[in-house]
Amino acid sequence: MFRKVLVANRGEIALRVLNACRELGIRTVAVYSEADRNSLHVRFADEAICIGPPRLADSYLNVPAVISAAEIADVEAIHPGYGLLSENANFAEVCRASNIKFIGPPPEVTRLMGEKEKARQAMKKAKVPILPGSDGVIFTAEEAQDEARAVGYPVILKAKAGGGGRGMRIVRTPEELPNLFHAAHTEAANAFGNGELYMEKFIEQPRHIEFQVLADEHGSVVSLFERECSIQRRHQKLIEEAPSLQVTPDMREEIGKTLCRCLKEIGYQNAGTVEFLMDADRQLYFIEMNTRIQVEHPVTEAITGIDLVKAQLRIASGERLETILPPSLGIRGHAIECRINAEHPQKFTPSAGQITAFNVPGGNGVRVDTAQYAEGVVPPYYDSLIAKLIVHGVDRAEAIAKMDRALSQFVVQGIETSIPLHRGIFADAEFQAGEFDTGFMERFLARGSAG
Amino acid sequence: MNPLNPEDIHDLKELIEFLKENQVAEFELDRGEFKVRLKFNQPEVTQGGLSDLATLLAGARGGAAQPASNTAVASPAAVESATDPLAGLHVVKSPIVGTFYGSPSPGASPFVSIGEHVAKGQVICIVEAMKLMNEIESDASGDIVKCFVSNGQPIEFGQPLFSVRLS
Repeated sequence: MFRKVLVANRGEIALRVLNACRELGIRTVAVYSEADRNSLHVRFADEAICIGPPRLADSYLNVPAVISAAEIADVEAIHPGYGLLSENANFAEVCRASNIKFIGPPPEVTRLMGEKEKARQAMKKAKVPILPGSDGVIFTAEEAQDEARAVGYPVILKAKAGGGGRGMRIVRTPEELPNLFHAAHTEAANAFGNGELYMEKFIEQPRHIEFQVLADEHGSVVSLFERECSIQRRHQKLIEEAPSLQVTPDMREEIGKTLCRCLKEIGYQNAGTVEFLMDADRQLYFIEMNTRIQVEHPVTEAITGIDLVKAQLRIASGERLETILPPSLGIRGHAIECRINAEHPQKFTPSAGQITAFNVPGGNGVRVDTAQYAEGVVPPYYDSLIAKLIVHGVDRAEAIAKMDRALSQFVVQGIETSIPLHRGIFADAEFQAGEFDTGFMERFLARGSAG
Repeated sequence: MNPLNPEDIHDLKELIEFLKENQVAEFELDRGEFKVRLKFNQPEVTQGGLSDLATLLAGARGGAAQPASNTAVASPAAVESATDPLAGLHVVKSPIVGTFYGSPSPGASPFVSIGEHVAKGQVICIVEAMKLMNEIESDASGDIVKCFVSNGQPIEFGQPLFSVRLS
């Protein structure tokens, strides 16, 4: 096991990783920007090094500063958390060149999965179901017409270099295709400096289902089942739960087996998440793979009893899955997570500032991952996630009841948070019934029941 | 109130140093007519390693002994000089995290020495980050008064390197 690890992140995930290190007897080094001097990840690390001014590009995303800190602190490994440098293959390469273990997959694999089309082809080859679509880039509107006919309307055009919805267009009829093709091309070229587009079948009212995997460095891969993440607003997840009500034990086993075979072939290592869309017929289609720990990993930890971050550290230090995991894996109960953001519950505007009162709920089956505290400050420079509230019940009904009471006991004053929004969602009949898709938030907000 | 003899002042200074080194927050001494109460500014966040160094440095700079006004018996002048030796000085801070080197190569003479005049933009040291030797320039003109770091020492972003008496 490692002697000393640097955590290249901030906020709750930095603290989460520090906790795992500490429980494994690993010395910890935190890095921080000037805006985070009084943060808990700084306070609770064995050592802390200021690496730059508040701006992300000058501190947490500054590769030379992070590597330099790792070198002067003499660490053996870096845990990148999520976001920031976690899926930056160049960073992983610099780590390798500096003889520092990057806790994640090898840079080649991160790079493969970062290129959507290559990732799709790799999955297709291993017989993981993918969305029907173009094999690569479509250059002209005429070409797009032919593809759309083959795939079947509706289709969606997406930017090859894209993300965040830009350069994306849903096309429902052949007549509107040429105009939408040009609009998407121009938008992508402006946003990413690359106007290349590809096409996929568009799934109406999809669910977002993802599978958690762990792979060691000796060729073993396991699936730790699925998470349901359909409660999203503008592609930002708000609530995640596990297991999904829509995934049957047979599907779970089949997809799990296929993924393990595929990831073994690719040479995947460490923790990862494979994201799928599910259509109305419960058919799953691969969309992308995230090559890091996810924000919503605690729901999987709750139902499997496996500490995913500790598993990451143990895998990266060379341990085999068979020594890390229990002999048999199963699902126990039902877990739900709410992302508590520092933002207005109806307007969704970010709300930075000083927290004046902070009461964290507890009790049986309630977990809160946060790096915030009373009199702590939410700086305006970073992500608005300030806490994750996770509950674990014997079934979904108990989990909902637990979440409802935990939300009522979660008090944050001084800033606006999404807690009132979550309370509204948990009181909603559609959410309670579990019969929802990624269009839920739009319908919910239209009903005017938020907060 | 009896004036203190030089021996007492010396003892007091030593005591202050000892308390500072051990990060004592408050100290009270009562020997009849001789009463001392000392309060030290505590670093807001304490952690091990490098930042400890940084906070200690910060403490040595700004957070020195501040005798409570009513009970202090040490001569005000003596305490004053221990309080803020850097008043009115400009501090050159490290713009990057890395390892400090005072000279261009091992054995070579240092870029600058105490008392020397430096111009704004003049290279005053090297901070090594990722095997790259980054020349650090002074952001002010003046005479070097003090160097806060030693050769080969790991330093963080914003850590004080030199103090300069502006000219």
